[in-house]
Amino acid sequence: MVLLMKNINIEQYIDSYLKKVSTTQMVIIPLILLLLSLIILGWSCISTSTPEGLGSPVELGVEFTGGTIVSVESPLSFEEVQQQFTSQFPDTPPISARDAGGGWVMLQFAPMDEAAQMELNEYLTSNYGSEISLQQTSAQYGQDLQLSAIKAVIYAFLGMAVLVFIIFRSVVPSGAVVLSAFSDIVIAATLMNLFGIALSLGTVAALLMLIGYSIDSDILLTTRLLKRRGKLDDKIKGAMKTGLTMTTTTLAAIFILFLVSTFAQYVSSFSRIDIISDISVVLLLGLATDLMNTWMLNTGILKWHLGREVPIGKKKRGRRK
Amino acid sequence: MRDEEVEKGLGRDPRILLMGGAIIISLILLLLPAIFPDMGFGGLKYGLDLDGGSWLRLKPEGAMAQIDADVGTIITHEYSSFLNTTVTVTGTTDTSVSFEVGTLVTAKQVESLGYGQAAVSGGRGGVSAVTLQVDKNHVISRYLENSYKTEVVLSEDRDGVWYEIRKQTSAKELEDILDDVGGSLILYKDGVSQATLVKTKEILEDKLNLFGLSDVKPIIVEREFILIDLAGIDIETAMDLAATPGKFEIRIQTEGNESIHAVYGEDIQTVGIHEANNGIWGVPFTLTQQGAVLLREAAIETNAVNAPLNHEVIMYLDNEVIFSAPLNDRLADNLKIMPVQDMSASFGTDIGSKESAKQLESHLKAGALPVNVEVIGSGQVPASLGSQFKELTAIAGLLAIIMVSFMIYLRYRRKEIMLPMIITSISEVVMILGFASAVKWQLDLPAIAGIIAVIGTGIDHLVIITDEVLYEGKLPPTKVYLARISRAFGIIFAAAATTIIAMIWLFWLGFGALKGFALTTIIGVLIGVLIARPAYARIIKEVLKEEQE
Repeated sequence: MVLLMKNINIEQYIDSYLKKVSTTQMVIIPLILLLLSLIILGWSCISTSTPEGLGSPVELGVEFTGGTIVSVESPLSFEEVQQQFTSQFPDTPPISARDAGGGWVMLQFAPMDEAAQMELNEYLTSNYGSEISLQQTSAQYGQDLQLSAIKAVIYAFLGMAVLVFIIFRSVVPSGAVVLSAFSDIVIAATLMNLFGIALSLGTVAALLMLIGYSIDSDILLTTRLLKRRGKLDDKIKGAMKTGLTMTTTTLAAIFILFLVSTFAQYVSSFSRIDIISDISVVLLLGLATDLMNTWMLNTGILKWHLGREVPIGKKKRGRRK
Repeated sequence: MRDEEVEKGLGRDPRILLMGGAIIISLILLLLPAIFPDMGFGGLKYGLDLDGGSWLRLKPEGAMAQIDADVGTIITHEYSSFLNTTVTVTGTTDTSVSFEVGTLVTAKQVESLGYGQAAVSGGRGGVSAVTLQVDKNHVISRYLENSYKTEVVLSEDRDGVWYEIRKQTSAKELEDILDDVGGSLILYKDGVSQATLVKTKEILEDKLNLFGLSDVKPIIVEREFILIDLAGIDIETAMDLAATPGKFEIRIQTEGNESIHAVYGEDIQTVGIHEANNGIWGVPFTLTQQGAVLLREAAIETNAVNAPLNHEVIMYLDNEVIFSAPLNDRLADNLKIMPVQDMSASFGTDIGSKESAKQLESHLKAGALPVNVEVIGSGQVPASLGSQFKELTAIAGLLAIIMVSFMIYLRYRRKEIMLPMIITSISEVVMILGFASAVKWQLDLPAIAGIIAVIGTGIDHLVIITDEVLYEGKLPPTKVYLARISRAFGIIFAAAATTIIAMIWLFWLGFGALKGFALTTIIGVLIGVLIARPAYARIIKEVLKEEQE
């Protein structure tokens, strides 16, 4: 019975949360954050726009803008390496440089034509041997990828939304799940914007994973509340207990992934794994957001919706502020 | 089924047997190469980002278009500027077009624009009546060829007739060209046809073969690009090998070591298979119409047509002589009169000649990519970094499992629950990897991210099952248990379906490195939902039952 005793603690927290926070607060706070996020993303689109068109809500990585990323192993500091490349290639100088850990320096170049790229490759091979890491995307292909990425996220979201409506066949609960998944993605994107995490193939993958992950707890909540008998608050409590276990377990695993892929460079001569680091950081932000959206927004909407359906006299409406 | 399971023991439950079998098969597949290294089957294949090497993503340049234009207008436009006189179209049929020109012309003059065979009559008052044997599609494609100075290939599918322009262009440029003859652009697609894509790929493969890289297989991705993975080869060599088309040139000797340019590789239209003709080994090839004209001009200029033995025809690939021989007498005579497109580069009758012919064939093919290719993406990962990544992801995976076990223990405080959960999760990884080695997937970093995603949702689902079963803290009566389990699986199937829906587009659109990620996630979710989770539900029931007894 150790199990039950320990769980009382969690249940007490859930209890006091459900008592202290009103349904309106549950819904309003995430909605305000969602609105704020939309404003930030919108503003970012406008402020980065060029005469050719609207800008982008998040910073775009080299895979989407086109360009070349080179990592070389060098005893010099990254500023010195950057200087060296700038004097060697005055027409196509590196636009940024940073320390990638483990004695590696990472340089980024703007898109260049094939001749310039081959010149750079030749210089790299003759000065650094084959121990270089390189990734190049043409500007045009980058743009095509951008389009495909946007398409993939939109299609994935629409597919998920349609499926959710098919599963629950009820407008308000399905709408709540879809709204909370939408909010997850929007707020995660805003956090990426604020923390300066660029949209790369890895982070697009993370946003798509987020759709899958965030839906898990929402479906759990909705199924428990709609299909189980019992008092509403008890059902919410049960769902929360399960759901919080799910999300915190996932968060913990991803946190480890983030630590190892990002900071291994400081404990040994390992180098950063950018793609895993990107994916894990976006998932961390997104899952944290999902905790709020599932257990405030989605729960709030369902509470209001189910409370409304209860016959008069059972005074569930008293919750309304 | 459900009623039977009460009687059946754990070891005979079909769900347990299924998972056990899948794990054993996966382990055999994974360990096979370690035990029998010569079998060449099973084991994990790593992507370039884990094994080191370089890769190129190439885009053949060109466009496909559907076009409508008036034959008469094109003929008028083309011949009036070519002959510098008035042209009046007098009639068109499906296979011919007739017109009058305000000057005296010969059939050969008319044919030099390439609009088919001409019959010229008249001469009344300095006016010639011309009939060209040509249909509408060929008039349009020839017009485009003349405007673009590149090859245009006709093809037909259920959408109609397509003109493939084998050169980088844009809808705007094509519209401008069509505007001159009042034509209209119906449909425009960037990129070449599938047939051309396949041909380009095959030629690249030949070329890599030529350089001793027979195990490198270029593949077509996204129906538009050619992807070449070159394990253990640096990016500079890779670009030289694959991205730069072999520069092929035919020159004709003037005197001693001197020669003049005749034709470039772009004018080689087709290359046949090396063959023996009357016992003489050779390689047949055809030049484009433009190439034939150019070769003839060079042959006349060097006087090779009259003294073939003093003026050898020399072929170069990347400035290396790959063939040198005089013009054949008959060919020389023919060239005096008209351009010749069909050629054959001949050697002798011996075995060595056969080898030479075979080699020339690959050289010719390598030098003649049907279209130019653009390097739209490339990359390199040094082997040392790749093996670091492998180690790091393994460490991360291990630590993540320990962390998850800890979190699960914290929540349930029972190792009888934690252990089956963790073992189920690890089994899922084994099964995904087993599947990967069975279908010879390349495991790259995005695919590993996919596996992590699957394990994450997997643990979530195991928690859902456990909590449903353990609602009162102990195993409920069978009837209640069954209802709970079916509700848990309702949630799990719904969640799995949404994950698959979210990923299927990514797989379908299949862009970049994320196709592997999408596929791993989908397969992983299916393995989890269909094999691992049902088995877990059975195991957890057994564990709780034993505990209560």
